[in-house]
Amino acid sequence: MSEMKTAAYICAGCGIGDKLDVAQMEKVAQKEGKMALVRRHDFLCSPEGVALIKGDIENEGVSHVVIAACSRRAKTEAFDFPTVAMSRANLREGVIWIVAEGAEHDEVRQEMAEDYLRMGCAELKKMKLPAGNPNKADNKTILVVGGGMAGMTAALEAAETGYQVVLVEKTGELGGWAAKLWKRVPFRQPYREAQETGVAELAARVGAHPNIKIHLNSVIASTSGAPGRFNVELAQESGATTTLTAGAIIQATGASNYDIARLPELGGGLANVVDQAGLEALAKAANGQPIKRADGREVKSVVFVQCAGQRDEGGAHLSYCSGHCCATSIKQAMYFKDANPAVDTVVMYTDLRVPGMGEDFYRSAQEKGVIFTKGRASGVTAAGDVCKVNFRDLILDEEVSLDADLVVLATGQVPNSGVNIDLADDDPAKAQQVSILNLNYRQGKDLPQLTHGLTDSHFICFPYETRRTGIYAAGPVRRPMDLLQATEDATGAALKAIQAVENANIGRAAHPRVGDLSYPMVRLEGCTQCKRCTVECPFGAIDEDERRFPVFNESRCRRCGTCMGACPVRVISFENYSVDTVGNQIKAVDIPDEFSEKPRILLLACENDAYPALDMAGLAHHTYSAFVRAIPVRCLGSVNTIWITDALNSGYDGVMMMGCKHGENYQCHFVKGSELATYRMSKIDDTLKQLGLEVERVASYEVAITDNARVAALINDYAAKIVEIGMSPMKGFG
Amino acid sequence: MSAHNSQAVERYRNDFLREVEERVEEGQWVKMCMQCGVCAGSCPFGPHWQHSPQKLFMMIRAGKRQEVLSSDSMWMCTSCYNCVVRCPRQLPITHIMHGLASYAHRLGLAPKSQPTREFATMFWNNLAKKGRVNELKLTLALYFKDGLVSGIKTALGMQSIGLGMVKAKRLNPMEILGGHGLKDLKGFHAIIAKAREIEDKKKGLVS
Amino acid sequence: MKASIATNQTILVVGGGIGGMTAALEAAECGKQVILVEKNPTLGGRTALLYRYFPKMCHPTCGLEINLRRLKGNRRLRVLTQAEVTEVSGRNGDYTVKLKLSPRYVNENCTACGECALAVSGQMPNPYDYGLSQIKLAYLPHAMAYPQRYVLDPAIIGTADAEKANSACKYGAIDLAMKEETIELKVGSVIWATGWKPYDAAKIQPYGYDRFANVITSVEFERLADPHGPTGGKLLRPSDGAPAKNIAFIQCAGSRDENHLRHCSRICCMASLKQTQYVREAYGDDCKSTIYYIDIRAIDRFEDFYRKVQQDPTVGFVKSKVARIAQNENGSLILHGVDTEGYHRYATEHDLVVLAIGMEPEANGIKLPDDIVVDSSGFIEGSKDGGQFGAGAAASPTDVNRSVQSATAAALRAIQVVHKTAAVEVA
Repeated sequence: MSEMKTAAYICAGCGIGDKLDVAQMEKVAQKEGKMALVRRHDFLCSPEGVALIKGDIENEGVSHVVIAACSRRAKTEAFDFPTVAMSRANLREGVIWIVAEGAEHDEVRQEMAEDYLRMGCAELKKMKLPAGNPNKADNKTILVVGGGMAGMTAALEAAETGYQVVLVEKTGELGGWAAKLWKRVPFRQPYREAQETGVAELAARVGAHPNIKIHLNSVIASTSGAPGRFNVELAQESGATTTLTAGAIIQATGASNYDIARLPELGGGLANVVDQAGLEALAKAANGQPIKRADGREVKSVVFVQCAGQRDEGGAHLSYCSGHCCATSIKQAMYFKDANPAVDTVVMYTDLRVPGMGEDFYRSAQEKGVIFTKGRASGVTAAGDVCKVNFRDLILDEEVSLDADLVVLATGQVPNSGVNIDLADDDPAKAQQVSILNLNYRQGKDLPQLTHGLTDSHFICFPYETRRTGIYAAGPVRRPMDLLQATEDATGAALKAIQAVENANIGRAAHPRVGDLSYPMVRLEGCTQCKRCTVECPFGAIDEDERRFPVFNESRCRRCGTCMGACPVRVISFENYSVDTVGNQIKAVDIPDEFSEKPRILLLACENDAYPALDMAGLAHHTYSAFVRAIPVRCLGSVNTIWITDALNSGYDGVMMMGCKHGENYQCHFVKGSELATYRMSKIDDTLKQLGLEVERVASYEVAITDNARVAALINDYAAKIVEIGMSPMKGFG
Repeated sequence: MSAHNSQAVERYRNDFLREVEERVEEGQWVKMCMQCGVCAGSCPFGPHWQHSPQKLFMMIRAGKRQEVLSSDSMWMCTSCYNCVVRCPRQLPITHIMHGLASYAHRLGLAPKSQPTREFATMFWNNLAKKGRVNELKLTLALYFKDGLVSGIKTALGMQSIGLGMVKAKRLNPMEILGGHGLKDLKGFHAIIAKAREIEDKKKGLVS
Repeated sequence: MKASIATNQTILVVGGGIGGMTAALEAAECGKQVILVEKNPTLGGRTALLYRYFPKMCHPTCGLEINLRRLKGNRRLRVLTQAEVTEVSGRNGDYTVKLKLSPRYVNENCTACGECALAVSGQMPNPYDYGLSQIKLAYLPHAMAYPQRYVLDPAIIGTADAEKANSACKYGAIDLAMKEETIELKVGSVIWATGWKPYDAAKIQPYGYDRFANVITSVEFERLADPHGPTGGKLLRPSDGAPAKNIAFIQCAGSRDENHLRHCSRICCMASLKQTQYVREAYGDDCKSTIYYIDIRAIDRFEDFYRKVQQDPTVGFVKSKVARIAQNENGSLILHGVDTEGYHRYATEHDLVVLAIGMEPEANGIKLPDDIVVDSSGFIEGSKDGGQFGAGAAASPTDVNRSVQSATAAALRAIQVVHKTAAVEVA
């Protein structure tokens, strides 16, 4: 690392020069900020302003830059200096746009701006330009687990993009659920007829692809390592084992059919009651001829009972909808009609769910004479040689029954997702589950499950935001879905796996801090082996060695800093984000004395939601208290309690924390950062009491990015509260 | 039970939907209904009948043959076409209603005292006689359908309109004597008979 | 932007909504050169105009913030706003694309300080509020707009306002002489992520969208609920500003209808279920939401959300396609129809009617290259030569999650195209 040379650039544009004494700020940067170079510019983001900074970097050896201008979220194209460490003092959105107009506010406005400048300088001096992860993680092979439609598609798409692929399938052949089908629901228009499944062709292409190696009759016995350097042991049915290495993993282990035997009330177990898989088998056997029952009799009437053991409100069966079953039953009803239009086919549904162009498929079945009855089946019984379906006709509003040669129960998909790592270890349910990935991670053997055993991402905008970096679920293991969606999903997952290996290769973070080259560094000599970091890491990135020291797997890490926030001895830090970068900002604020009637409130704001909300409050010119000093943090989970205690010890009158919503519908992209922060802060109450401080001096809030007016109101309310409880007695001791 | 009806029952057994498809004008559309109910809500006569079109369609699918064919609902259709223009599946509901009514009538299952049916029968019989509508006779037959007393009352009530129509040459009192007709009446009757034969054959209605 | 910057190794993404941004970012984060073109002055598309997402009730701008941060940090991705594709010629791996660039009249100097907007007085219906509010002719589209630069509407040119805006700008950012330009790019693959638009509700004549002030669309309702929206997040009736506490949600407004849109738009059931919770959030127990539906399509684990809403005593469900709407003297609306579950006729009064409006491909009515295959509703399947792809809501009616899934898949397919071109060139 070459010598640090600091420079501060203060912009006077956008009204900053009108509202603030910039000359005074230049002095602050020089004398207090100790910046080697201080410059002022009336329009810093202009080509001339940018050229000034670039010139200093090139000619003056400037390595560290403070931009005192607008928010770090603004003018990023102009202030783009990749070779230097940079901090931004937010004078525009953070000061002049939110402090009330008028000369009577000049003093507090100026103090606020000067503090932000001091903070920017203080942060900068503790920052380093991250050099990237030195750990070698250069394996780019994609491991695909599961050889069904999703798995084969993922394998083929990755292979076609030029990557080596290993495909592991537990059975003796590729194809999965799709191979069991006679035909599939159409993927493209015209959406009128069932189509060939294409499974054999796909399997042949996968089998013949030079970039794909297939292991049949194999399961994963163990997985260790991290993106770019996974070590995987395969166990073959024969008892043999194989070891291989991979850079990323796609888990496409699909779904099983809900067990029809659990539905005796709907005839599960009767000879002439089958599930959709059973009907596919009969259709395959018929090979386009009229479909026969197991006893060889030709089916002349069939009833499809939708939502069998699904959408169950009682908790006995699946509570969700499997999405594909309406279209699948329509397709199966067509099997009958296509072979013999005289067969009575009734699809009994409560809500027919065929979105998009599925409506065409529905219409096509109606044209073929399939009858759709909105009804709720209450029971299926054997009646002589036929089945009697008792149901409530919801349109005609009556209890009736139908006789049918065959009844098909549209049961749902049960994801093959392995072990629910969130169950307690002594839970008997957990003991029965067979792991898929057998990860040796500290936090459990398989991907965390979201709900109903599904391994889905919790995020709407980011369906591949996995909680185990470099491991992507695809297909019905993560969400009930049809074949078309499974192929789309698998293709998307293949892309994410490719990104994961490329990121790991150069030590770059994956989503959402994509491209971040910083990574957690630990001073093990100070570590007390308390394990908080390993327990709290939301991504399972940290293992423990035999001495119970944390072992960081950087390419699993998402750079949220939760470990840094957790560490009671503060030995974890990032090059550009550390206990010191924030701690020094806190200390840099000028604390007026007790009698000034100028409280100081520290505001730690999540950079993804709360900080943008503060910015937008500025944009909308919502005024808020000039006594607040906001610091963006990567996640509230990264907030170390030392920051809070230091702040209070040094005379701050209050600390506000703003993070994302937590709980069931958590919105934290680092899973539970804000929840952890709230929990940690609940522990701080005792400390506050010991210090003789009111518990209100630390407050945490759930804030959404849209809360621009609300954040201003929260700050003002809190500032009023501080006035009410009085100034901190700690001033002057810090 | 009429001969047509027993033949139909025999032929279609449980499959009333197929019977409707094959024998009712536009009946092949019934299976396309998706039970949204917009027809039911769109009908100006909605509050007055027992079964909405969409419900009739569901009843057909459920095999409620007797109930459907004896329903008076389809007789109430005034051909306003509200349902047709709003139907998201573009079912020609008006035509289906008329088709169902006509079929029920042929089978002798239509409600006996249904006024629309009575008037339609009268109208047809009047027209079929001479190939031209005898408005005077039709009017009188309508007035006197419930007996002499009510007929006279109605006729007196309508007297001024009648006279006005005579003055405007819209009604010819001489029509009472037999009225005008087509030149080739025999040919006309033959055409009607043949048309019925073709239609019956097409629909499988054999007596 | 010079044409020479792009090569046949470049991927062009058309449309800067969540689908297009995702496709562009995913490809760029795989190391590909990407050009993202958007016809509006800002990225973000329609999701930026939504208040919350189902089923988590989280905020679309949260994801937009992350995507913008990804975009700001990526040097391989170039964004062109106010740019429309007018022609694509060539073939798989080697396309020439003509782009029409409309003038913004504001250059890169703009700091978004807002002085120009303060200076001008002319206004227009705000397209980012679906016309429910007015916006100045010099404007920043919305708080999350990217690029964060003001725009002058073409209507301002030649007026005194234009000069006022110009002289209010201290940074030389206003350039009234900007002209429309046409540029050509060489690209290897094209992803059409042109998204969707709400079906024209006025065409659904019996619902009176064009006659009754208090009949609005679901996208407009999103704006009412949004704190950044025209009412500051209050659910008020357009006719008189009174609180709308008794709200009807009409499903399949345009969708599943041969007279309008043949397809099911997939999202509308969930959107209405979500919107009932806005009503509840605003008024607690003192409100009533009624959903008129044919089939509730709460697919996969969305069923959980449906069940939660079903248990909400303020929400009722009527299985019926509403036949027609009439307005009474106080501006309230009477919905006429029949509940088909057992056949119950209703004539129910509501303060406000929200039409769960169907999704129509935004590209409908736009001339697409001859090679592009669209389905019967106009959704883009891709090009016959395999070098162009539909993604997101341009390819089928999708929710955000599936749109992103589709866009990610499309990005990989586009990467494969440019890889093959590269391989051929090396050989």
